[in-house]
Amino acid sequence: MTASIGVPMKRKEDPRFIRGRGRYLDDIFLPQMLFLAIVHSPYPHARIKSINKSKALALPGVKAVITGEDLDAAKLEWLPTFHGYDKQMVLAFGKALYQFQEVAGVVATSREIAEDAAELVEVEYEPLDPVVDPFRAREDRIVLRDDRESKTNHIYHWEVGDKAKTQAALDSSDVRIKERILSPRCHPAPLEPCGIVADMNKATGRLTAYMTSQAPHVHRTAFSLVTGIPEDKIHVISPDVGGGFGNKVPVYPGYVVATVASVILGVPVKWVETRTENLTTTGFARDYHMDVEIGASKEGKVTALKVSTVADHGAFDAAADPRKYPAGMFGIVTGSYDFPAAFAEVDAYFTNKAPGGIAYRCSFRVTEASFAIERGMDILARKLEMDPAELRRRNFVRKEQFPYPSPLGFIYDSGDYEATLNKALEKIGYDQLRKEQAEKRAKGELMGIGVSTFTEIVGAGPGKHFDILGIKMFDSAEIRIHPTGSGIVRAGTRHQGQGHETTWAQIVAEELGLDPQELLVEEGDTDTAPYGLGTYASRSTPVAGAALALAARRIREKGKKIAAHLLEVSEADVEWKEYKFNVRGVPGKSVTMKDVAFAAYTNPPPQTEPGLEATYYYDPPNLTFPNGAYIAVVDVDRATGYVKVRRFVAVDDCGVVINPMIVEGQIHGGLTEGFAMAFMQEIAFDEAGNNLNTNFTDYLVPTALETPHWETANTVTPSPHHPIGAKGVGESPNVGSPQAFVNAVMDALAPLGIAHIDMPLTREKVWRAIKNAQGAT
Amino acid sequence: MNLRWDGEERISAPKATVWAFINDPAKIAGCLPGVESTSITGANTFDAVVRVALGPVKGRFNFKVSLVPRPADDHMDLKVTGGGLGSVVDLVAGADLASNGDDATALTWHGDASVRGPAATVGGRVLDAQAHRVIQATFENVKKALSV
Repeated sequence: MTASIGVPMKRKEDPRFIRGRGRYLDDIFLPQMLFLAIVHSPYPHARIKSINKSKALALPGVKAVITGEDLDAAKLEWLPTFHGYDKQMVLAFGKALYQFQEVAGVVATSREIAEDAAELVEVEYEPLDPVVDPFRAREDRIVLRDDRESKTNHIYHWEVGDKAKTQAALDSSDVRIKERILSPRCHPAPLEPCGIVADMNKATGRLTAYMTSQAPHVHRTAFSLVTGIPEDKIHVISPDVGGGFGNKVPVYPGYVVATVASVILGVPVKWVETRTENLTTTGFARDYHMDVEIGASKEGKVTALKVSTVADHGAFDAAADPRKYPAGMFGIVTGSYDFPAAFAEVDAYFTNKAPGGIAYRCSFRVTEASFAIERGMDILARKLEMDPAELRRRNFVRKEQFPYPSPLGFIYDSGDYEATLNKALEKIGYDQLRKEQAEKRAKGELMGIGVSTFTEIVGAGPGKHFDILGIKMFDSAEIRIHPTGSGIVRAGTRHQGQGHETTWAQIVAEELGLDPQELLVEEGDTDTAPYGLGTYASRSTPVAGAALALAARRIREKGKKIAAHLLEVSEADVEWKEYKFNVRGVPGKSVTMKDVAFAAYTNPPPQTEPGLEATYYYDPPNLTFPNGAYIAVVDVDRATGYVKVRRFVAVDDCGVVINPMIVEGQIHGGLTEGFAMAFMQEIAFDEAGNNLNTNFTDYLVPTALETPHWETANTVTPSPHHPIGAKGVGESPNVGSPQAFVNAVMDALAPLGIAHIDMPLTREKVWRAIKNAQGAT
Repeated sequence: MNLRWDGEERISAPKATVWAFINDPAKIAGCLPGVESTSITGANTFDAVVRVALGPVKGRFNFKVSLVPRPADDHMDLKVTGGGLGSVVDLVAGADLASNGDDATALTWHGDASVRGPAATVGGRVLDAQAHRVIQATFENVKKALSV
C-alpha cells in the first residue's frame, strides 16, 4: 500500500454527477405526492388586513391553503433563529416585513396548479413606510418589529478588544487612515435552490424529510424542538446537494409549511424554490458597513486598528452565527498583521429586507473582516506612499510568533506569511509588473496590481466557545471495516460539491493502509450517520476530517491486538510502519490491515470482541488558520470603465493537502465567486424597498467567458493541533480574493485620485468614478 | 419603484366635448390599450383586466380605475390601483384641458406610478418605457376617438 494523502485522486462522486446520475432533491417523486407553492408579499412593509383563500381553494386540484393564522393556531408560526436571540415568522402574520416575504402556502396536485392557485389567494395589504437603509433604521423613527418587547430596530451591540488602548494608540500615531468600507449584501445563489419533500407517514408516526441540507442532524434537532415530534420520529435525508455555500444551513419557511401540509394531509409534499424565491427570501450574506481606522508609524509599522460596523440583518435576526458570537469570527479583522492594539464593534439593525447573514463560503463574518483589513492596508500604503506588498511584509505576524495570540482574542495556529507572499510575488513577477505599470502610467494608461495577504479562521468548535442551538460544534466519524478489507465511512458532515466521498476515503485509507477506492463514504442520512454539526464554515476537514483520522487510529489500535495474535508476538512488539503491522526488529514479518480485517471476523484473539469498527466524536482544541497571498493584475479602460483581469495568482497555505486536485478545484471555484462579488453581484434595493436583483438577468453569475484564468500554488505549514495537519481550504479563495481585485482596480485608478469604490465594481461605477475624477481635475 | 411621465395631445374638438368624454368611464375604458374586459362599477369607476407583458413577466393584471374630476380647474385624475402576478401598481394619470381656439383642445397629461413586486424587479428595466407607452396610448386613443 502506498500513500493516499497528497494524491490527486479523481473524485469518486464525479462519474454519477457528470453522467447526470446524481440524485438531487427535485429528482425525488413519491406516490401521492403534492406540491407546495408560496404566495409572497409585494410590499416590503405592510399590515396584512385579510387573506381570502376561497378562489384558490375552488381551483380543481388544490388541497390546502395555509396562512400564518393557521400556523399560529398550531403554535408553529414562530421559528427560533440559530443563536436563539430572535424568532422568525414562518408566514407573514399581522405584518409583512420584507418584499417577497412568504404570506401563504398553496398545496395542490401539481406544481403548475399550486402556482396558479397562489395567484388566486387574495391578500389585502395596508402599505407602511419601509426602512431600507440601516443608518435610517438606527434612528428608530419607524420601529419594524412590534412583536418584540424592546421598541427599537437595534438588535445588538458586540465588541472585542481594548477600546481605550486602541483609541490612545490611534491618537498618537504618525499616520492615520479612516474609510467606510461596505461589504455589500450578496447571495450565494447555489445552482440548485432549496427544497424539501416532507413525508409524514401517519401509520408509523414518522416524518421523513428529504432536504437540501448542509446540516441534516441540526435540522432534525431543530424540527423536533419546533414541532414537538420526538427526534426518533424524524428522519432527515440530505440527498446530493448542488452547491450550498451557507445558503442551505438555515431552516426556511417553505420547509415548515411543506411539513405542516404533509402532517395535515398525510401524504408527501414537495417544495422546491424558484430562482427568484432563492435570491429574494433565503439567506443572504454580508451587508456590513465598516468604518476602518488604522494608525501607523512613518516607517509603516501599524500601531492600532479600530473597526466600527453597522450590520444590516434584515427583518429578523436570522444570522447563522454561533450563539456566543453574534458577529461570528469578525475578530479576525486584524488579519495577518501584528497590531499592538485593536478594537472591533458591530451594531446590528433590523430593516425591511430578507433575513439572513449566512456565512457565504466563509467562516462566520470572515470575508467581511478580511475585506476590511486588506482594503485598509492598501489605503494606508497609499497614504504612506509605500508599496502595498512591502507594507504588509513589515507588519506580518512572523513565523516564530506562532502560536500567535491576536489582540482580539484568537490563537493563530501556524503560518509563514512572508514565504507565502514571496512565492506569490515571484510567480507573478511583481517587480517587473511595477515597472510596466510606471511606464503605462506615464502614457496615461490605467494598470493596477492588487495584493491580498489574508488569514482565515475556520473549523468551529471548539465546543466550549461555539455552539448552535446549544449543541457544541464538534463533528463525528464512524468507520466499519468489512471482513475482506473494504469498508464504509460515515461522517456527520454533508458535502455539496467539496469531494468528501474522495477525501474522507483518502484520510481513512492513509491511516489504515487500505485502498481508498474500496472505502465507501456516506453522509447526509440522520438514521445512519453519527451526529454532526454539518458542512459550512470550512469546518469539514478541520473537524470531521480529524474525527475520521482518530476513528481510524482507534481501528488501528484494535488491529494491533489482532496483528499480534496473527503474528504470534506480544502487542508491544508490533509497530505500524509503511502502512502495515510489522514485528519490531524482524524485517519481512508483517500483516496488512486486510489480513487483520479478515481475522477480526474469522479468527479474533481470545477475549477480544469480533468485528472492526470505530466511532470518534472530535471537539477541536482550537480553530485552524488557513492563509494565502493573492495578487491580481488589471487593466482599466478609461473610456468605458471596463476592467480586464489580466492575471491572478493565488498561493494558499491550507496546511497538509489531502487531494491537490480537489484543493485546486476548490480554489478555482472560490476565486470565481470572489470575482463575481468584486465585479458583478449585489442584492440591491430601491428606496421603496424593491429588491432589484431577483433573478439571473439582474444577479449575475460569471460564466467561463468572464472568468479570468487562475494561477495557483501553495505553501504548507501544518496545523500543529490537527491530527493530520490539515486546515481546510474551501473558503479561502472566496475570503481572500475580492480585496485583491478591488485593490488592483483602486491601484489602477490611483493616478486619478480615486480612494475607494464599494463593490461591486461594475463598469458603470468605475466609469462614473473616472468621469467624476476627470471632471474634478 | 417610482415612475413619472408626461406628454401632450392636441385634440380637434371643443373643450366641453373632451371633458364629457373623459368623464365617461365607458369611453375611457375603451381607450386603454391591451384591455381584455371592462366592467363599469359606478358613475366614476370601472374595473379592467389588462394583458401585460414586461420582459419575462407576462400575465393579466386586474385594475380598479376611478375618475376624479376637478371641473373648476379643468383637471381630471385617473386613479388606477391593482396588480397581478404578485405585483402591485398604484398609478395616477392627471389630465389638464385648455382651449386651443374654438374647436381644439390641448390635453396635457402626467403620470405618477409606484410599482412593487416582480413587475418592478423582474420587469424593472422595461417597465418605465412600457408604462409610458400605455399611458401615452390611452390619451392618443382619446384623441383618435374624438377626432372622427
